[in-house]
This record gives sequence, structure tokens and C-alpha cells, in this order.
Amino acid sequence: MPNYALTAGRTRSARMDLPIEALVTVTELGLAQRPGLSPEQRTILDAAAEPLSLAEIGSLLGVPIGVARVLVGDLAADDYLAVHLPLVGTDGRPRRELLERLLDGLRAR
Amino acid sequence: MDSAPAERAPAPAAARDGLLPLKILVSGGFGVGKTTLVRSLSEVAPLSTEEGMTSLSDGVDDTRVVPGKSTTTVAMDFGRITVDDRIVLYLFGTPGQSRFWFMWDELARGAVGAVILVDLRRIGDCFAAIDYFENRGLPFVVAVNDFPGTAGVDDDTVRDALALPADAPLTRVDARDGGSCTAALVTLVEYALARSG
Ligand SMILES: Nc1nc2c(ncn2[C@@H]2O[C@H](COP(=O)(O)OP(=O)(O)OP(=O)(O)O)[C@@H](O)[C@H]2O)c(=O)[nH]1
Ligand SMILES: [Mg+2]
Repeated sequence: MPNYALTAGRTRSARMDLPIEALVTVTELGLAQRPGLSPEQRTILDAAAEPLSLAEIGSLLGVPIGVARVLVGDLAADDYLAVHLPLVGTDGRPRRELLERLLDGLRAR
Repeated sequence: MDSAPAERAPAPAAARDGLLPLKILVSGGFGVGKTTLVRSLSEVAPLSTEEGMTSLSDGVDDTRVVPGKSTTTVAMDFGRITVDDRIVLYLFGTPGQSRFWFMWDELARGAVGAVILVDLRRIGDCFAAIDYFENRGLPFVVAVNDFPGTAGVDDDTVRDALALPADAPLTRVDARDGGSCTAALVTLVEYALARSG
């Protein structure tokens, strides 16, 4: 099946330019609307009961990141998914507090 | 609203505020141990995803314009470390071929930094990766992989051969050993912190 079939023929949407590590979680609205959605959309919402990234969604569905980005972007635009973006400073790098927390977490391993 | 304990319902989105992804790249030449390192560190079996040339630039338009034409895709491994209740760290192995440079730019954007693996028997294979991260000012740690017969080469010799900046960290790893891989990540994050304002 060509990848675009998954996106129901849509080639553009008002999706965000989500980075590959962006995390998503299902919302209460998403849970409520789940029965009326496509199998791919339900798979995403079910997996997003726990935080997972765009990369993991692509892997789960077996589709390229670009396709996962469209599917997730559409679900997020409908507020079925909450998106958690990376936090970077003006220099485009992760903020200092974040690096400190990362260091603590890694040292505790 | 029902006041019974909602023991099965996923936490609503509001309760998940503060979730933050981070990423670190794992780079180096062919067969240098990138996948092995990701596997040693990841709490899930390393996953693979595909990135497509057209998907990056313009959604999936091109596959529709030219029916039957498939996008150029490349498999990329990645792994995951849940750092604490809010932070999830992803490790992305960078694809080795230079024709996939376009993917590195997306991967590098917002990254903490990179671990560049080096096999001393083929030291030139990592030059492209070092150049890439150095030119973009992205923090990196050079991790000399513990391949047979390479233990005798001292750090100064490696630094000279790689023309490493004086402050750039250099470490040794066995990519099959999670402890040494974690230590390499710690070295990288310490360095990134030292360089951040
Ligand atoms: N002795 C030793 N062998 C290693 C080490 N790391 C990896 N290897 C071995 O080297 C081989 C290549 O490792 P991979 O992890 O597949 O390398 P890669 O960089 O992902 O390779 P490509 O994706 O093909 O570029 C495997 O057989 C590993 O078991 C190490 O630290 N020491
Ligand atoms: Mg590999």
C-alpha cells in the first residue's frame, strides 16, 4: 500500500513541523472520539496512553517519519493528542536546567 | 462528574504537563558500533524508523505527483531512556552514508549533542562526523571503541590524529557494555553543560 493511502489522500494539513523526538499523549477528547477513528488513528491513540515520540509512532506503524508526522499532526489539530515539544533556549540548544536533570538521571543509572 | 477513583483512566493531558523529550545522536563510520551502543543503552529493543527524502521537504506530495514512485528512505535506529518522570531521552544513530546528510540536519536540531564512535583501525571514517558537529557548534564526545588490538594507542596520539579541539572530551567505550556507554553520555552532558551559558 502506498504510504499516502494512510493519510486518506490528504497531502497537506495545518500540521506543525514536529521534530522526530516530539512526545505525544492521548487526551480525554481523543479517548472519547476513538471509536469513530481509522485503525491507524486508533493504534496511535492507544499507544499514546504512555508518552511516545514521533519516531516510535513511525516505527509502530511501519511508515516513514513524514507520514507519521501527518497522522500525528492531524490528531493533534483535533486535540485528540497532546504534543510535548522539546524546550530549547535562544541558542537552539536544550536549556541548562534540562541538561542538569538529564545528568542527574544518567548518573543515577 | 463521577468521584470514584479513576484507577484505569490514563492521566489527562494536563497532568502530563512538563513532559520533555531530549535527544543525543550516535555517529561515526560504518560498522563502528552505533547500533550496538544504542542497544546497550536503550530500555526498549532498539527500534528502526524510516526517513524519506520527500517526507522531509514537503509531506507526501511527491508520491502522489508521481504515482508508483517510492520515496528514498533510509532505516535509522533509535533507542529510548526514561530519565525521570518527565524527561525522555532518545538516542538516534545517524545514517552512515554522506548522501543522507540532509537527515543529519533534522536530527541535529535541538540535540544535546553527539557521541562520535571511533575505530582506531579505521580512524579516517569518523572525520566527516567530527567536521559536521564541529562546524555546527554542537557538543560532541569522541568515544574510542574498544576493538581488538587498539588498546595500546594513547589519548594524545588519538587527539593529534583527529585534530581535536583542546577542550573536546575523549573517552573509551566498549559499545557492548552499558556501563561504559552511560559513562560516555555523562561525559557528553557534562561537556554540554560546561559550554552552555
Ligand atoms: N570488540 C568490540 N566489538 C564491537 C564493539 N562495538 C561493536 N562491536 C562489534 O562490531 C560490529 C559492528 O557493530 P554495529 O553496532 O552493527 O555497528 P554500526 O555502526 O551500527 O554499523 P552500521 O550501521 O552498519 O554502520 C558488531 O559485530 C559488534 O558486535 C566494541 O566496543 N568492541
Ligand atoms: Mg547500525
